[in-house]
Amino acid sequence: MVKAYVGIDVGSVSTNIVALDENYEVLFNYYARTNGQPLDAIKAGLEKLKKELGNNINISGVGTTGSGRQLAGVMVGADVIKNEITAHAVATTHYVPDVRTIFEIGGQDSKIILIKDQMVIDFAMNTVCAAGTGSFLDHQAERLGVPIEKFGELALTSTNDVRIAGRCTVFAESDMIAKQQYGFSKADIIKGLCKALVRNYINNLGRGKKLEPPFVFQGGVAANVGIKAAFEEEVGHEVIVPKYHNVMGAIGVALLAKEEVEKKKGRTNFRGFNSLQTDFVPSSFICTGCSNNCEVIKVEMNGTPIAMWGDRCGMWKEKVKRAI
Amino acid sequence: MKIGVPKALLNFYYGPFWETFFEELGMEVVLSEDTNKEIIDAGVRESVPEICVPIKIFIGHVLNLLEKDVDYVFIPRMVSINEGEIFCPKFMGLPDMIRHGLEGLEDKVLTCHIKSESDDISDYSNYLSIGNTLGISKEKIKKAAKVAGEHWKKFRNYNKNGYTALESYNLVYGKGKLKGRNNRKKGIKIGLLGYVYNVYDSFVNMDILNKLKELNVEFITFDMIDEDELRNNIDDMDKVLFWTFSNKLLGAGYKFFRDMEVDGVIHITAFGCGPDSFLGKLLEIESDETQIPFMTLRIDEHTGENHLQTRIEAFVDMLKRKKLKAI
Repeated sequence: MVKAYVGIDVGSVSTNIVALDENYEVLFNYYARTNGQPLDAIKAGLEKLKKELGNNINISGVGTTGSGRQLAGVMVGADVIKNEITAHAVATTHYVPDVRTIFEIGGQDSKIILIKDQMVIDFAMNTVCAAGTGSFLDHQAERLGVPIEKFGELALTSTNDVRIAGRCTVFAESDMIAKQQYGFSKADIIKGLCKALVRNYINNLGRGKKLEPPFVFQGGVAANVGIKAAFEEEVGHEVIVPKYHNVMGAIGVALLAKEEVEKKKGRTNFRGFNSLQTDFVPSSFICTGCSNNCEVIKVEMNGTPIAMWGDRCGMWKEKVKRAI
Repeated sequence: MKIGVPKALLNFYYGPFWETFFEELGMEVVLSEDTNKEIIDAGVRESVPEICVPIKIFIGHVLNLLEKDVDYVFIPRMVSINEGEIFCPKFMGLPDMIRHGLEGLEDKVLTCHIKSESDDISDYSNYLSIGNTLGISKEKIKKAAKVAGEHWKKFRNYNKNGYTALESYNLVYGKGKLKGRNNRKKGIKIGLLGYVYNVYDSFVNMDILNKLKELNVEFITFDMIDEDELRNNIDDMDKVLFWTFSNKLLGAGYKFFRDMEVDGVIHITAFGCGPDSFLGKLLEIESDETQIPFMTLRIDEHTGENHLQTRIEAFVDMLKRKKLKAI
């Protein structure tokens, strides 16, 4: 039996799970669409982990991150629940110790993280707009009838420069349609789109920041060689895409879980694989205690509420805490 | 007579003055409720979409007071509290905007022109127009303004002793407890910059003060620093900003960065705030020069709590890990 540390990154689009051994080697690596069902996605991932490695590993620590980190953390009994920025930065500095700039583009968000001496010194996240994130690329790939996996390669075959407006998905889309009508090839348009996304990303998130190499590009979108090439053109420097680029958040939080458990002298809160049989039911209701009408999220395990959040006053959160 | 006082905008700074003033005049003071979803929704519905969220909230509070059957709603015209400087035009035009923009308020806006040479706005001549509207003698106005001024100074003294404006408000009304001093934790400390109505309205900022407390983060705000000290910190500028409270924030920001007494600085700003577009840039430049991390939190009526939480957590994590490594 080897000790393993599990990281779970529940994002809006994908759910990623990794297991690392004591020496930080990736033993298991799972990337799947969340499809709006984070609990099912986590269960499926953990079941696969159990099936593949269950007899050989002893799970010694678990961490969760991503927008669904709270829910995931409650479900598995996480030792650490961390935001995505910290998780990504920890993973990247592990693989590329001298990294200075991280470009991360995920399903519905994008971020830039600046690092110096392995410390996060600055970061920016897209605020409300999803232009230039994975979801938009998905949508355009579908519209053009190009499988998303082939999207980047196709862009690389283009020899024409087509300028597409990248400010806003609505404009980008109408611009693309116009360019199609002019007779540009799909490859040209896709390349134009890749460049527009990168331009938009740098303008939005990199504004006023000094971007220094080494550059690392990660997140689901980093699989897209077209976007990688566009980044390299934009910054005028090589951009590294790490081997596990699409599960970096999960790796980061697994590393943090290891750190945390070691701090606690080896005790993990992990509920065990058996907890997968347990029935977790998330639900939400509008609290009418005051005029704020908060949407409160409630998670029940076998019929007993084990976590609640979303209430501004903290009344429900406290109630559950005291009950446990 | 019932005078409604909206708990929004500069009420977080001058509230104790205005409340006492009207009480001394023998009026019944009716406060609006703390900002809540209903108030924001009503304010958003009744205002032009382009205007900033603090003004929308103010309008919501005015509507909330109307429901409480007040005779007047007090809406001062804040013109200047420092020579050569003014308030954002929305503050200067606020009584007119409300009177002409909202139904049922034509005869209900009680206003006065506030022009002063310092933060102390207790000069009675500011309030004579209120006496005219309500039929109250100059002597009474004079006395009420004096009492209110003293009350306000007590409030500010608590504030300048490290209590938040909310804590100071409770203390000056005999509620709340004095905290033990000098219990400086070993954790991190941040400078929290923002206008009082953004920092202290826990609804619009998703309760950032408590979020920071939960993360064991100490913070200091501009209103905890003496006015003169704020001013000294922008003395070396060729030209200061037009807006007094923006200058106060800038003074506080410069102090935070230059005295190196905080681990990081967070600026809470309302989406679309004109003055903050200058302020934010100046702070950014200072952050680059001093290498003290700086983050802007932009709020509006659509702000998602998750997003804000992630940002705050990530920022605090960054500072904590940095400090850990430095030791």
